[in-house]
Amino acid sequence: MNHASVDKISCRQALALVAEYLDKELGQLERAQLEQHIELCRKCFDRFEFERLLKARLTQLQRVEPSEPLRKRVELILEKF
Amino acid sequence: MNIPNTTTMFDERTVQKTVVLPLLGELYRVALRLTHSNVEAEELVAETVARACENIATLRDLTRAKQWLLRILTNVFFSSCRSKKRRQEIPYVEVDDDDDAASFSLFEALMQYGADEGNPERIVITKLLDEEIQSAIAALPEEYRAAIVLCDVEGYAYQEIAAILDVPIGTVRSRLARGRSLLQKKLYHYAKDHGWTSSPNISRKGKTNNESCQCGQD
Repeated sequence: MNHASVDKISCRQALALVAEYLDKELGQLERAQLEQHIELCRKCFDRFEFERLLKARLTQLQRVEPSEPLRKRVELILEKF
Repeated sequence: MNIPNTTTMFDERTVQKTVVLPLLGELYRVALRLTHSNVEAEELVAETVARACENIATLRDLTRAKQWLLRILTNVFFSSCRSKKRRQEIPYVEVDDDDDAASFSLFEALMQYGADEGNPERIVITKLLDEEIQSAIAALPEEYRAAIVLCDVEGYAYQEIAAILDVPIGTVRSRLARGRSLLQKKLYHYAKDHGWTSSPNISRKGKTNNESCQCGQD
């Protein structure tokens, strides 16, 4: 969507969209409105970047694998049924 | 993963092997984030698998097996939390439904009480330890914790989370908003404990938090 063709939104409206933008839950129009806003507004861009980094930090928490004893225990449970 | 897609008859043993075992890693990770304990996570997974086996006949759509298993897992988890609260093994945490409960911003707090040099917001995110983030998640009320774990840690869509937790999508949104606010508040306390913040009311740019935005779109 061409950013020039979307209505401008306020900082308050923009910040209300950030979480759902990062969760990939916004429609095309709202995405374009937020993108247009943060291109022009430094403070909202900084907040957007912060929330993006924080979410990425949570997603990148160390990925642990189940232990071998747990895998064997689950196989035993499955065998019983 | 190649899960057979059929809503008719299927061999239960095959389902158990082809559905449960390949998803074991995912079940364990969610369990660990929810319980913040290896032992409890393993118990939670074992109980989930046992219940899944008992109720395998209720699984009609094999493409939704993951959702179905996670629904059992979160139900077992919530039920265990309720029992612990009854036995007073864990404290009852009153959930704050006030609008302010969803309004804390770590970014704004760091801008207001930020460090004197560098980029304090990024420094805080970079320096926080996995253990601190996991402790902060574990300190959330369990309904918020589950929403945060499923969305932010495991990357599920709102619709999937609503199906797993058996709540309307609006409830997923509000739990995420409140959960994130509480999580950020907790992380801010860690930042303060580490001394990554400085004098109140003065940010690194010498501006107060109340200063309005200069973009002309406010």
